[in-house]
Amino acid sequence: MKNYIIKRLLYIIPVIFGVCFIIFVLFNLVGGDPTHMLLGKHATAQQMEELRRTLGLDRPLLYQYFDIVKSAFTFDFGRSWNTKQEISTMIMDGAIPSLSVSLPGFILSSILGLIISVVVAYYRGRKIDTVVRIACIAGMSISSLAYILFFQWFFAYKLSLFEISGYEYGFPNFLPYILLPSIIWIILSIGPDVRFYRTVILDEIYQDYVRTARAKGLSEIVILLKHVLKNAMIPIITYVVIQLPFLILGALLLESFFSIPGLGGITLNALNSSDFPVIKAMAVLSAVAYILFSLLSDILYTVFDPRIKLK
Amino acid sequence: MFGLKSIFIQSVLLSSLFLIGCTKKQDLTEKVIYNVSAANLLSLDPILCSNVYCSKEISRVYESLLEFHYLKRPYTLVPNLASEMPKVSEDGLTYTFKLRDDVFFHDNACFKDGKGRKMVAKDVVFSIKRLADAKNISNNWWLLDGKLVGLNEWRTKYSSKESNFEEVVEGLKAIDDSTVQFKLTKKFPQFLYSLAMTATNVVPREAVEKYGKEFTNHMVGTGPFITGEFKTKNKLVFTKNPNFRKKLYPSEGEPGDKEKGFLKHAGKQLPLVDKIITSIATEAQTRWLGFQKANYDFVEVPKDNFDQVVLPDLSLNSDYAKKGIDLMMEADLDTTYIAFNHDDPIFKDNPKLKQAMSMAYDHDEANKLFYNNTAQLAHGPIPPGIAGHDPSFKNPSKVFDIEGAKKKLAEAGYPEGKGLPVLTYEYKADTVGRQMADFFSKNMKKIGITVKTNGNTWPQLTTKIKKRQAQMWGIAWVGDYPDAENFLQLFYGPNSAPGANGSNFNDSLFNALFEKATVMQDSPERTKLYKELNGYIADKMPWLFGVHRQRIFLKHDWLDNFKFTVFPYGREAYLDVDLEKKAKLLKNF
Amino acid sequence: MSSNVSETSMDLSDKMNSMINSNQDGTHKTKSLWLDAFNNLKQDKAALFSLFIVILYSLVAILSALGIFSADWNKEVGPSYAAPSMDYWLGTDIFGRDVVAKVIHGTQIAMSVGLVSSMIAIPIGLTLGAVAGYFGGWIDEVIVWFYTTFSSIPYIMLLMSIAFILGKGLTSVYLALGLTSWVTLCRLIRSEVMKHKNRDYVQAATAIGGGHGRKLFKHIIPNVSHIIIINTSLQFQIAIKSEVILSYLGIGVQGQPSWGTMIDDAKLELARGVWWQLAGATMAMFFIVLAFNILGDALRDALDPKLKGK
Repeated sequence: MKNYIIKRLLYIIPVIFGVCFIIFVLFNLVGGDPTHMLLGKHATAQQMEELRRTLGLDRPLLYQYFDIVKSAFTFDFGRSWNTKQEISTMIMDGAIPSLSVSLPGFILSSILGLIISVVVAYYRGRKIDTVVRIACIAGMSISSLAYILFFQWFFAYKLSLFEISGYEYGFPNFLPYILLPSIIWIILSIGPDVRFYRTVILDEIYQDYVRTARAKGLSEIVILLKHVLKNAMIPIITYVVIQLPFLILGALLLESFFSIPGLGGITLNALNSSDFPVIKAMAVLSAVAYILFSLLSDILYTVFDPRIKLK
Repeated sequence: MFGLKSIFIQSVLLSSLFLIGCTKKQDLTEKVIYNVSAANLLSLDPILCSNVYCSKEISRVYESLLEFHYLKRPYTLVPNLASEMPKVSEDGLTYTFKLRDDVFFHDNACFKDGKGRKMVAKDVVFSIKRLADAKNISNNWWLLDGKLVGLNEWRTKYSSKESNFEEVVEGLKAIDDSTVQFKLTKKFPQFLYSLAMTATNVVPREAVEKYGKEFTNHMVGTGPFITGEFKTKNKLVFTKNPNFRKKLYPSEGEPGDKEKGFLKHAGKQLPLVDKIITSIATEAQTRWLGFQKANYDFVEVPKDNFDQVVLPDLSLNSDYAKKGIDLMMEADLDTTYIAFNHDDPIFKDNPKLKQAMSMAYDHDEANKLFYNNTAQLAHGPIPPGIAGHDPSFKNPSKVFDIEGAKKKLAEAGYPEGKGLPVLTYEYKADTVGRQMADFFSKNMKKIGITVKTNGNTWPQLTTKIKKRQAQMWGIAWVGDYPDAENFLQLFYGPNSAPGANGSNFNDSLFNALFEKATVMQDSPERTKLYKELNGYIADKMPWLFGVHRQRIFLKHDWLDNFKFTVFPYGREAYLDVDLEKKAKLLKNF
Repeated sequence: MSSNVSETSMDLSDKMNSMINSNQDGTHKTKSLWLDAFNNLKQDKAALFSLFIVILYSLVAILSALGIFSADWNKEVGPSYAAPSMDYWLGTDIFGRDVVAKVIHGTQIAMSVGLVSSMIAIPIGLTLGAVAGYFGGWIDEVIVWFYTTFSSIPYIMLLMSIAFILGKGLTSVYLALGLTSWVTLCRLIRSEVMKHKNRDYVQAATAIGGGHGRKLFKHIIPNVSHIIIINTSLQFQIAIKSEVILSYLGIGVQGQPSWGTMIDDAKLELARGVWWQLAGATMAMFFIVLAFNILGDALRDALDPKLKGK
């Protein structure tokens, strides 16, 4: 177990090298030249040369690549080219607003999704199963942009039930601002959640052990809740844990429409302004988070399922 | 694990039940201006901020030597930190400023005992040298690049070592504590405008040194408002500077100001309000709905909401008027255009082709679709409101005439578009940008010209222009200062890309006349020359001229003294909030 | 003892033979699987209807691509922003173009985005996943490293970067979506192949001397093919929805209408009461995404051998 964790921790290194390489190729080699943007409409050739030198863009490519790799280990991403803010501070400031929207939405939709899928699995093949399934899928079939446009206009503006936009730091000040975005988050993710959970639960229902349990005369509800759910939790937990890093990153569209100063907005802004240091920082950071959470999910996997042995 | 989760959920649900229906109430005990910014702030350091959005925020805290008179039109420079307008030497090269002696920096930890000290001439010199310092990578440097004697040399000397701010630069001197002298390398009458812009705001050296790179988050100025550290990136709060010097609301403006109520506060000490809160909302829908909920005091009307707000006779829809909302429509200082890259042999020396394209373009329809018929068609580059604009001038190609366009196209050597390759039009990829691109392409098809459209992010588009890779693109130029020189320099050969002349137009006759005009003081002769240059460009058509846009604002009636200006920097000091009226009107929302 | 041994070996080879027989001809097995699936589907009215919708949309897309439908979407047919009426069922857009024609042209774009991006993602995901799962060892390590690296970068960032580099347009959308969506399939196929490679029928194939390629492509892949079907139905709707997001970010389809650009238009139009572009595009998108989802679920139920024996 210990060896496995160490091995997985070390695994971060090649993946970070890989991520850095992709980022490097995408932005340093083929991405747009940021100097024009930074200097504005009156730039001269000499100024751009100066700027390229200051930013280190005239150095050999290998150096530029290793700069990215270095930042992945020191977490010192420097400053944004665009806003001149310290990137690590930007990320810390942005993580909380992003999480305050995504986390409640995520937890609620996971639990609701699980409950619905257990019910649906119990009544599998019957009308309620079909109705819930189709309702979930129907919900998934509408563009997230359409949801945001309509909900903001209808619930926040027409009915005045929620704040239209904005954000205040600190609990519970942010609550009025995160309600509507969180609800939209739930609506957006409940469909895929139920779909996945139902599949997983049905997978288990047709296993031999369920047949055995049924033969032993156990009631369907007991089988479902005690045996099936326990085994289904393995893929479900993997599914849930793997999503966690993306919660921190927030939702681009939601944050932009509701003026939430989170990481999604920071990322979108950086992409739109060729703010390479910020994009690189976000990519590196999410890679590290992703790998750490994959590790966590693997460990949880073994805890729940003794059948799987770690190498 | 599940128990904990469900407790959390219950608490969230419970609290949300309480919160639903009771969205935030506004504080009516003090005068607060609720402002909304449409873009994220670049930087709050005057030398690093280069767009309207951050300039507006910066100018609440920082000030420059000069400013535009709040009420007078045409825009007039008046002293701000200077005690009077400068003395200009006979040769027009030396400008000597006397400074006010009652200007103090805001109290801040960077000063001894935290007490703001008096601002002196050395601070002005320091602030401008900071702008010149190559290591600061200021994109406002173009303002003074090559203009002051010895400043470029100073910049080059310290471009890669620590700058010596004590070193005396011939063109930028503190004669004594209250006198600053500028020496120009050559005559440049527009120089004074640069001393009214946020890039030359006066900052204290103590703060720059104490906060270093974090200076952008600590604004320490001399202005009417003060603010703490900039931490929450979606909101800024400014409070009234209690120690602000004696600065009064002007008692004269342009004719008609009195009738419009702009002189109600004449002679009153500024600022008039206690607080400004700026929220940042980058989506138009967010700002628009927020205004209608009275979360913001004023807002620019999005193009697609125009019909709903403004009636065909350009008056305000009564639904809005009833709620005490006012409509303001004013001309901006800008020109929209489709540029042609003159590096491309197709466009070089072939004005007829460009004229044909202009005639095939349905200008009135574009005005209707994209500007709700409020914009003024541009016949040349110089917009109305500044000397050199000639309202009687009509560009012969500014007519929608398909047959004429076809004829012109044949004269240009491409009958029915034969022989002309597929042209590419680049645009900034947003909803309206895409629609404009479609519209252009559709229009050109009518005379047999095939135009491919290509969307870009803003950096991609500017990069293409600067690298001369774009063939045609849709863009606008907004005046930096109210002088036609700022528009005409866009066609000056030596300014070609990566300079501001993105269309790489280079015409020796134009270049010579432009050089002559730039050193002339404002005079009827110069205006005449500007008009000539405008006409010359209108004929050569390095651009397909679009429109001069109108800005359409809505504001709540409780906001007083809101006069339109194309330079809204420092405006909030003059605004007032009528709390009684606000309390009454808020009941309508 | 010798007879015992021969008996046992007889038994084993019998078992093996029957197993190999049933698995020998992949196409035969798949055919029966598909036949069963179709029989199951016939009873599922929702699925049948979905299949009908998918076929209908495909037809509309093909006819539109051939220029039989909506060839004149760019033509002005009426005034700007005309409301829906008998003349224009879904009203007109800013330039007075018929929204119905735009929706139809958008169908062509959407179907092609789903199809082409799947065509790119499936071979990559299938090959890499199958190879990794089958061979294991360092090959697996490298492939897992590759997709871990790929999936560690946020999807939207990768998508935007690829679109950034390839320039704007439909080709970029195809490639960007294709190149970012193979990871899920790869991961699923890999784990499924891992399960299957130790199953009896593969062991049996080994025993009679089947090569790696034969075992992988003849035996294992047909047995995991339902994952491709299910994943493709998901991929289709993800692709269609991503096109909208790309259009919102300004890097979608250029110079022709798509559902994405129509919804992006609606962002501004909604406030002035012009709801028909949003409604047209959203409804068109709604039905096809819904159909793909239901069909995917139904196919999964029908194709999954575990469910077959219930």
